[in-house]
Amino acid sequence: MENHPFYQAQGSEIELFERAWRNRLPLLIKGPTGCGKTRFVAHMAAKLNLPLYTVACHDDLTAADLVGRHLILDGQTVWSDGPLTRAVREGGICYLDEVVEARKDTTVVLHPLADDRRILPIDRTGEQLVAPASFMLVVSYNPGYQNFLKGMKPSTRQRFISLAFDFPPAKQEEAILVGETGIDEMTAKRLVSIANAFRALRDHDLEEVASTRLLVYAATLIKDGCDPTLACRSALVETLTDDPETAVALREVIDATFGR
Amino acid sequence: MEEYVGELWHKLVTRAADKEHEDAVVRLDEISKTAAIFFRALGGDAGLNLSASPATRHGARRRWMQRLATTGDRVELSWRDGETLRLPEHIGLFSERSLNRDLYLWLVALSAADVDENLPWIIRNQAATQLTLERFAGLVPRYNRLLEATLALRPLPEKLPTAEAAQENSIRQALQNPGSVDVLPYSKTPFHPVALWSHPAPPINANANVTTNNGAPETVSPDKPDAAKSRRKHAAERTDMPDGKDGFLMMFRAESLFSWTEYIKVNRPQDEEDDLESAAQAAEDMDNMTVARDSETSAAKLRFDLDLPPAGEDDAPLGEGVSLPEWDYKKQLLQPDYCRLQEVVAQQTEACELPAQLRRTAKRLRSQFQALAPARTWLKGQQEGEDIDLDAWVRQEADLLSGTHPDNRGVYRAQVNQQRDLACLLLADLSLSTDAYASDNARVIDVIRDSLFLFSEALSATGDRFAMYGFSSLKRSNVRFNHLKTFDERYDTNVRGRIQAIKPGYYTRMGAAIRHASTLLAAQPQRQRLLLLLTDGKPNDLDRYEGRYGIEDTRMALHEARQLGLRPFCVTIDIEANEYLPHLFGAGGFAVIRKPEDLPKELPLLYAQMTR
Ligand SMILES: Nc1ncnc2c1ncn2[C@@H]1O[C@H](COP(=O)(O)OP(=O)(O)OP(=O)(O)O)[C@@H](O)[C@H]1O
Ligand SMILES: [Mg+2]
Repeated sequence: MENHPFYQAQGSEIELFERAWRNRLPLLIKGPTGCGKTRFVAHMAAKLNLPLYTVACHDDLTAADLVGRHLILDGQTVWSDGPLTRAVREGGICYLDEVVEARKDTTVVLHPLADDRRILPIDRTGEQLVAPASFMLVVSYNPGYQNFLKGMKPSTRQRFISLAFDFPPAKQEEAILVGETGIDEMTAKRLVSIANAFRALRDHDLEEVASTRLLVYAATLIKDGCDPTLACRSALVETLTDDPETAVALREVIDATFGR
Repeated sequence: MEEYVGELWHKLVTRAADKEHEDAVVRLDEISKTAAIFFRALGGDAGLNLSASPATRHGARRRWMQRLATTGDRVELSWRDGETLRLPEHIGLFSERSLNRDLYLWLVALSAADVDENLPWIIRNQAATQLTLERFAGLVPRYNRLLEATLALRPLPEKLPTAEAAQENSIRQALQNPGSVDVLPYSKTPFHPVALWSHPAPPINANANVTTNNGAPETVSPDKPDAAKSRRKHAAERTDMPDGKDGFLMMFRAESLFSWTEYIKVNRPQDEEDDLESAAQAAEDMDNMTVARDSETSAAKLRFDLDLPPAGEDDAPLGEGVSLPEWDYKKQLLQPDYCRLQEVVAQQTEACELPAQLRRTAKRLRSQFQALAPARTWLKGQQEGEDIDLDAWVRQEADLLSGTHPDNRGVYRAQVNQQRDLACLLLADLSLSTDAYASDNARVIDVIRDSLFLFSEALSATGDRFAMYGFSSLKRSNVRFNHLKTFDERYDTNVRGRIQAIKPGYYTRMGAAIRHASTLLAAQPQRQRLLLLLTDGKPNDLDRYEGRYGIEDTRMALHEARQLGLRPFCVTIDIEANEYLPHLFGAGGFAVIRKPEDLPKELPLLYAQMTR
């Protein structure tokens, strides 16, 4: 059982996920990029021993991409299930990442699945699938100005219970770095303190903030023997800004942490 | 005395020309941006500006503030001495350039440390040093290098008279072993200023009498600041040393200081009627506030004269005027035809080009925003087109083979210009408060003007439909809605002329302005309609339109806007906005720009992010 993807809990999200699953409630997870949403779902799928189908949403995504389509093979038509259909048939988890990117008319196919009917009508084959008890629909998105106008239809949104993620408190984020990469605690502590210094610049000097993912990258480089300052520069500074002066300031923060 | 100490510090840090290491000098200009970001990253207040100023200016400023402090509570000038982080204009203390640079960064780091400002100077600086080195252990080697170089420049205790030697020894100890010195020994002669320590005390506030007991912990001043006051984080609570006896001076307060920005609030009795008297009183209050910002430069004059006709001389009415309702939250009732709104347009404006200082930014923004312009995209399932839509074709074939009815959706892909189906109306607050200074050299209104310019530049590069209006009010019968650019007008030299001509008006009856703007925006056919409100404070007007009443009416107006299918979003420079904007715009429905002078640059970027 210990083959689950490593996930460091932040609060009671594991319990909540399990309750949602047991009670057949669909779940919406929101939070900034790289804060562990995908990892959390992967972890829960493994923990509950369910197959996981992930779809990265984009504005070209059609209902057929989710549900399935006919293909032609040797002059014959073959129906091919989309990821959503497969998850329903197998009673697994279907995870729609960045769901606000999908057009609203696409997300409407989720409606009958995401309420108490739990059905998936497939127009093209005339089938109507009833989701087994273990099937769960999970969607995620990243709130922020970027998505201010996109949003979700209230009728979609209100079919889900919601979990808000953010970057974890320092101690837990350090544990994530240690757990993910095996670096020593001191280095983890320093990396997290740099990240939090950068995060203080959110909306002001930096458009984006350092995600846990980037910290994992930096830690990975350091674990591999890379000089910490260099690792932070390439994993954090240069990823977060193109502005030379901002970069100089960010490097100063790194030097103030790792010494010079 | 302060000026004297200031100069002392100035000389020390800059090494007064002769002793300064000319070739090693680092100027604030060179590293100000780095320093500012560094400061914020280390936890410093993001609302602060960073700048240099000559030492002698502070005396002038102190007198100014003393004068203000006596104007009583009718006019609350809620200035924050925490507006600016002052650093030496240049540092040439050490012979090595890198050390001078490090001293800058060290001073910045030290000012970012969160220590109790009521602590005596010597304790506070040690605490800040300890805290900084603890949080950023990587600074230790640098601190040690700076310390060594600093000690080498300080007078040797052996060569000083006893009292001064004791003092010097304490300072040295405090520097070498921060946290180990509780009291600074008394000496008649001022000690040599300490380059590694800053003095985050704002200039003097005549009301506060905090004495410094030669380094012993101070008692908190008896009149506890109330909640509103304590929000001014860096409130000035220090006075001159009692004459003569102070062994150490209040330390150099020269450059490493915080300047302020004035904020105007006109205090009026809560349950005020629509009477002229109180309006006149308000005007009088404003007159009292006609102050020079500082005695050297020409001043910011805040003058407000009620004799002036409500429409400024060069504003002409456009059309009939509109009657609008207003929400009375106490009665839970929309009062019909309660406000009179008049669209006006500035007369005698001269068509103009983009101001020169904005051209570079505008050029950059335009090229960035072209990326948002209608892109060519492929449409699937078309009856005709340049390319075959393989998906559609396969589906059609499959449907035929499997016997289901093919939908006649077409099997071609066609390339088209994808329109951004978006209209935006920008509504700018032009009330009197925009006459206040946003930074050392720009008023809020100037910042708003630049923002309107750059916003227009950026949006005309996208091809998005947009309109711009300003508003202010003087009671419910006089809501002015300044025509800047309609949806149908092109952004041209005439529009620029109108932007150039915007002036601070009176009050801020937000509800009425939002209602009228909503009507205009709702008439646009676009699918997404963004109502962008640009403001610097809460709704308020003379006739009871303030506090809860104004907020609730504004909230109702926004609610109506959403009902019309519009998306209101607010961009503000009011740092207290978090207290009321969530109530009005919802948690994700507004952005606070902490440094007003960044607004012109930030506004287009926000727009881009929101509509991407
Ligand atoms: N709580 C956590 N436990 C373990 N690892 C984590 C945790 N949070 C983040 N991580 C690490 O951060 C990386 C990024 O997390 P993840 O991919 O889940 O982010 P996300 O929230 O899905 O981001 P996006 O919105 O960009 O898809 C993971 O690969 C993992 O290494
Ligand atoms: Mg993800």
